[in-house]
Amino acid sequence: MAHLIELFRTRLALRTAAIILLMVALLGAGFLVLAVEIRADSEQRAQYTRIEELLSTVERTTQIACFLGDRELAGEVADGLLVNRIVREVRIIRQTGDVLADARSEQGRTGPAISRAVYSPFEQAQPLCRIALIPDQQRIDDAVFEASRFLAVALLLQLAGVGLCVVLVVVHFVTRPITGISHRLSRLEAETGHKLQAPRGNQHDEIGQLVASVNAMIDHLVSSLSEERRLRLEREVEERRYRTIFDSVEAGIFELDGEGRIVVANPAFRRLFRLAEECDPVRRRVALTELAGDGGPSIEELVHHSEPGRARQWELALGSGTLRRWISILLNRLEEGRLQGVAHDITERKMATDAAERLAITDPLTGLGNRLGMERRLAVIARHHRLYPERPHALVVLDFDHFKHVNDTWGHQAGDRVLEHVAALLTTLVGQRDYLARQGGDEFVMVLEGQGQRDQVAALLARFIELLADPIELDEEVRIRMGASIGVAILGLDTEDVQEALHFADQAMYRAKRAGRNNWRFHQTTSELSG
Amino acid sequence: MSRVRLPAIMALLLGSAMVRADIAVVTHDASHAVHLSRHQVINIFMGRYRQLPDGGLALPIDLVGLKDRFYRALVDRDLAEINALRARQVFSGQGSPPYQADAPEEVAALVLQNPGALGYVDAAGVTPDQQIVFMLHE
Repeated sequence: MAHLIELFRTRLALRTAAIILLMVALLGAGFLVLAVEIRADSEQRAQYTRIEELLSTVERTTQIACFLGDRELAGEVADGLLVNRIVREVRIIRQTGDVLADARSEQGRTGPAISRAVYSPFEQAQPLCRIALIPDQQRIDDAVFEASRFLAVALLLQLAGVGLCVVLVVVHFVTRPITGISHRLSRLEAETGHKLQAPRGNQHDEIGQLVASVNAMIDHLVSSLSEERRLRLEREVEERRYRTIFDSVEAGIFELDGEGRIVVANPAFRRLFRLAEECDPVRRRVALTELAGDGGPSIEELVHHSEPGRARQWELALGSGTLRRWISILLNRLEEGRLQGVAHDITERKMATDAAERLAITDPLTGLGNRLGMERRLAVIARHHRLYPERPHALVVLDFDHFKHVNDTWGHQAGDRVLEHVAALLTTLVGQRDYLARQGGDEFVMVLEGQGQRDQVAALLARFIELLADPIELDEEVRIRMGASIGVAILGLDTEDVQEALHFADQAMYRAKRAGRNNWRFHQTTSELSG
Repeated sequence: MSRVRLPAIMALLLGSAMVRADIAVVTHDASHAVHLSRHQVINIFMGRYRQLPDGGLALPIDLVGLKDRFYRALVDRDLAEINALRARQVFSGQGSPPYQADAPEEVAALVLQNPGALGYVDAAGVTPDQQIVFMLHE
């Protein structure tokens, strides 16, 4: 059984034949039933016609038997009828109920009786008896069955013939060409451009179309395969090119995952961040923040740096002292949870920038701040003061007495020497956070951050005047003694405006000059002055 | 047999055409059977009954010369058929055929002698001592 099912599953011809046979059988069964029905009906009718004919044949004799009431003759008629095997029983009964003849055979089955009136042979309208003939239904049924069986056998033979023909036709016209194509297809070397051949005689039919379609598909596949190969080669070249750049470029190239950990890093990146050779970022993920330290991007910044296409830059310092190096990091978002970064060593540039910056705000003679430096410092102080107005700052303006005389007498070099000396003195006096600048000529400005106590400022200035009292040695013979006029204004006490404070300090300095030089004055209001 | 007889019958029919008349079924005038129906005549002559309506035994008499016409007129059968029927009756022992009289006179004599006798004659030849029980029109 399983074998049969397997055969049905694998054999198209068998399946087709089975289905067609099934359909023919169903139709045949329908037709057979119909035919048998019709045949049985006509056979039945034929049998009854025959019985009628029999009755007609014996009518005359029956009439005479009835007329004469002749039992012997009636019995003769009945026996004669019984010779026919389809007759099972014959009864001849007079009008009076007197039974003239009743003959029957023992075999068979009783069918519906056929009865006929028997008239007088001499008077047409004079009924004498009834003759009833009961047919043998078994016999009739047998005849019908015989006729039907013939039909059935004929139909069955036809069915078998049709089935065989279908199998042969399907095998010859469908299965064999398809099997042939299948074999050829499995042996086909499509890559060499070989084509499938249609079976002979099938070039123009559906099988030919199938072969043509397969060939078209092979063409398409081969062309797309070669295209694919070409693209792959191109990509490999591209990949190698990128790999070379990646490995040999000076810039550090790296990729971060969604949590800011390094996924890929090229050798330059390892050199920049002093990553050990054995440290494999792929195996043990290192967070960028761990390497970068202060100034680098925070984890939050990395995680939320999610706008694609927009680069963000950080500059961070590694190491300290002379080994301090500056690195710039540029991060780009590649896709969700993936950042690509480029790192550059910007130590030299950074140092050059810083030096230029310092130079711009430095007085080259004294090493203190210049006017630009002072202005920047004052801007910072002004900003600071706006944020913290309760914190006062002292602004001190110094102007040397008779400095022009030094220049005129001993030359500019002597003047410069004096300025250098004073600058050194001032530097020793002020704190780390205080600022010193030479405004130009012999005028100095001090910003004492957070200083609002006049007595402390006074103490500092007293110390300065005292130190200044020591003669400055210009060379072995010449020693000079300098004096300075100093004005002080306190930002936060005298005024809230930085420029005004500077102006007040300047005014105070001139009052000190008018008051006999080499001393200092705090800013005073007009009322204080008159008072 | 009928073929052999046919010319004779034809001749007879043609010969008697001129003298054709009704046939009277007669009986003895003493008979109680005053009148018979056609049906009763057929039954008696065709051998179905042997009795007269009054219960007396019926004795039908065929007149040879008139027999052919009589049966033709009565049951529309030719003589051959009638003879065949009679032969069957005799064979099965059901009875005997009517007495065969050769001339009307013999019929008259028989009718006169037997009260149950029933004969037929040409209607014109009915004697006064005979009673007509049925008139057969041709």
